[in-house]
Amino acid sequence: MELLPQALCDGILLGGIYITIAIAFSLTYGVMHVIDFAVGEWIMFGAFTGFYLNKLTGLDPFIFLPLIFVIYFGVGYLVQPVIHRVLSGTKGNPFLMGLVFTFGLAMMFRGLALTVFGFYSNSIPSMFSEGAFSFDRFGCSVTIPTVRLVGLVYALAITGVLHYLLKKTNFGLGVRALAQHKDAAGLMGVNSKRTGSYVYGIYVGISAMTGVLLGCILSIGAQMGNDYTIFAFFVVVLAGMGYLAGVPWAALLLGLVQSIFMIYFDPSHTLLAVFAILYLILLISPRGLFGKGV
Amino acid sequence: MKATSNRGMQAMLILGALLLALPLAVHDTFVLRVLTEAIMWIGLAIAFDVIAGYTGYLNFGHGAFFGIGAYTIAILMMQANLPFALALPAGGLAAGLLALVAGFPTLRLKGAYFAIATWALSRAIQQLALTMDITGGPDGMRLTAFLNPQFFYYLMLITVGLTFALLWYLLERAPFGLKLKAIREDEEGAKALGLNPTKLKMQAFILSAVPTGILGGIYAYWITFIDPSSTLGDLVSDQAVVMVVFGGMGTLFGPAIGALLIFAFKTIFWAYLSDFQLLYIIILGALIAVSVIFIPNGLWGTLVRRKQDKIRPEHEIAAAVAPEEGN
Repeated sequence: MELLPQALCDGILLGGIYITIAIAFSLTYGVMHVIDFAVGEWIMFGAFTGFYLNKLTGLDPFIFLPLIFVIYFGVGYLVQPVIHRVLSGTKGNPFLMGLVFTFGLAMMFRGLALTVFGFYSNSIPSMFSEGAFSFDRFGCSVTIPTVRLVGLVYALAITGVLHYLLKKTNFGLGVRALAQHKDAAGLMGVNSKRTGSYVYGIYVGISAMTGVLLGCILSIGAQMGNDYTIFAFFVVVLAGMGYLAGVPWAALLLGLVQSIFMIYFDPSHTLLAVFAILYLILLISPRGLFGKGV
Repeated sequence: MKATSNRGMQAMLILGALLLALPLAVHDTFVLRVLTEAIMWIGLAIAFDVIAGYTGYLNFGHGAFFGIGAYTIAILMMQANLPFALALPAGGLAAGLLALVAGFPTLRLKGAYFAIATWALSRAIQQLALTMDITGGPDGMRLTAFLNPQFFYYLMLITVGLTFALLWYLLERAPFGLKLKAIREDEEGAKALGLNPTKLKMQAFILSAVPTGILGGIYAYWITFIDPSSTLGDLVSDQAVVMVVFGGMGTLFGPAIGALLIFAFKTIFWAYLSDFQLLYIIILGALIAVSVIFIPNGLWGTLVRRKQDKIRPEHEIAAAVAPEEGN
C-alpha cells in the first residue's frame, strides 16, 4: 500500500498532460465532426522536432515550445483545407471519407517517420530532467520529478488559454457556434472554412508541443504515435465526444489507470485495461461519463 | 438490364471455370502461391466492404478478425488436436462472436465510435496475443505442414467464390443490401421505414467477420506459421482499407479489382524493393489520401459513373431537341 500515494501522484501528473492532447482533439472533433487518426503522429512529429532542435542548438527544449507551436500551427493551417475539401465533397459519404483520409494520413506519416527517424527510442534532455521534490510525511513518501510538475503547469496553462479563447473572445464564440450548428453558424457570418483552419492549426500546434513534453518525461520513438492516438480516443470517448468540460476528468482517469497498471499489474496489459474500460463505457453510457457527448 | 446481368453471369461463370482449371495448366508452385494469396485478398476486401462500403461503418480492425480466425485454428489444431475440417468452422465462429461482442455496444452509435472501437480492439488483441502463453507470445505458432499447393488453391478459391456468390445474392439481389444502403444514406429515414438499423448493422458486421475468420484459418494452415505481426498486425487492416477505398466502396467488383491491383503491386514491390518495406506503407497511406480526394467513388465507381454521365446528356439533348424539330 505504500506505493499507492506515489501511483496516484504519477497518475495525476501524467493525466494532466493528456488533458492538453484530448482537449484540442475534442475541440477539432466538435468543429469538424471528424476524428483525426493522425493525432498521435502530430505528437510524434512535435517530439522529434524538439529533439532535433535541442540537439542542434543545445538549448533547453522548453524554450522551443512557442516556436514548435508556430511551426505546427502553420502545418495544420495548411493541411485543414484538404480535409475540409474532403468533408464538403458531394460524392460518396463525406464523413466516411474524412475518416478514411485521416487514417491514410496517419499511415503515411508513420511510414515517413520510421524511414527518417528509425526504430530507436530516445528521450529529450531538459534542465528539469534531473531534479525532484520529495515528500515524506504522514507515513507515506512521494517523489515528484520536476519535469512532470512542469508538465502539469504547462497543461493547466494551455487549458486556461483555451478556456479564455473559447469563452471570452469572438473567435471562441464562432467556434462554439460552429460546433453547435454548422449551417446556422454560417448564416450568422462565421467563416467555417477559416475558423476550421485555425482550430485545426491550434490542435496540431498543441499536440506537437505536448509531444515535446512527453519526450522530456517519457521517451520518443517513431512508433509512439499509435499509443497516444488510442489515449486521445479513450479520453474523448470517456468524456463524451465534443464535450470539453468532461475532458480533464477523463484524462486524469486515464493517467491513474496507466500509473496503477504500471505499479501493481503488468504494464504490457495497459492497453487491454484501456480497451476494457472503453468497452464498458460504450456499453453503459455511450455519451461518456457525464452523458453529454454527441 | 436483364441482358446485362445475364452477360455478367456468363462472364462470371467463364471466369470461375478458368480459375478452376488453372492449376492444370500452371505447375509453377510460386505462381500458384501468388494466385492463392491474391484470391485470399479478394475475399478479405469484399468481406470488409460489407460493413464499410454497404453499411457505411468503417472497421479499422479488420486484421483482428483475420488474426482471430488464424489463431483459433492454430490453437485448436495444435493444442486440442482437432482435424482441420473441424477447426475451420470454429475459426469463422470465433470471428463472428468477436464481431457480436465488439459490435453490440458500438453499432448503436455513430460511425466514429465504431471506427475508434474497432481500431482499439485490434490493438488490444495484438497485445493479448503477444502476452498470452497459449498463442506463443511474440514467437508465434507453428502448425503441422500440409504441403499441397493445389489443395490450398482450391480451398481458397471455393471459399472466396462461395463468399462472393453469397454476398452478391444478399447485397445485390436480396432486399438485405438495399436495407444496408438505406442505413448508410440516412439512418433516421431507414428507421422511419420500419427497419431496425442496429440489428441490420450487427448482421452486416457478422457477415463481414465470419468469412474473414475462415480465410484467416485457411491462411494459418497454408503458411504453417503465424505470429502477431503477420496475422494481427496493422498491415492486414491497412491493406484491406486501401483495396476497398481505391477499388470502390459499396460495390463487390470494386474491392475485388482493388485487391487484385494492390496485391499485384505488393508482390512486385516486395520482389524488387524488399528493403524498402516502409516505403510500401507510405505509398499505401498516400494512395488512400489521393483516392479520397480525387476518386472518392474508387476506380470501379468512377468508371461506371462516367459511363452513366456520358449517356445522360445525350438523352437530355434528345429530349430538348425533339420539340423544336416538331415546330
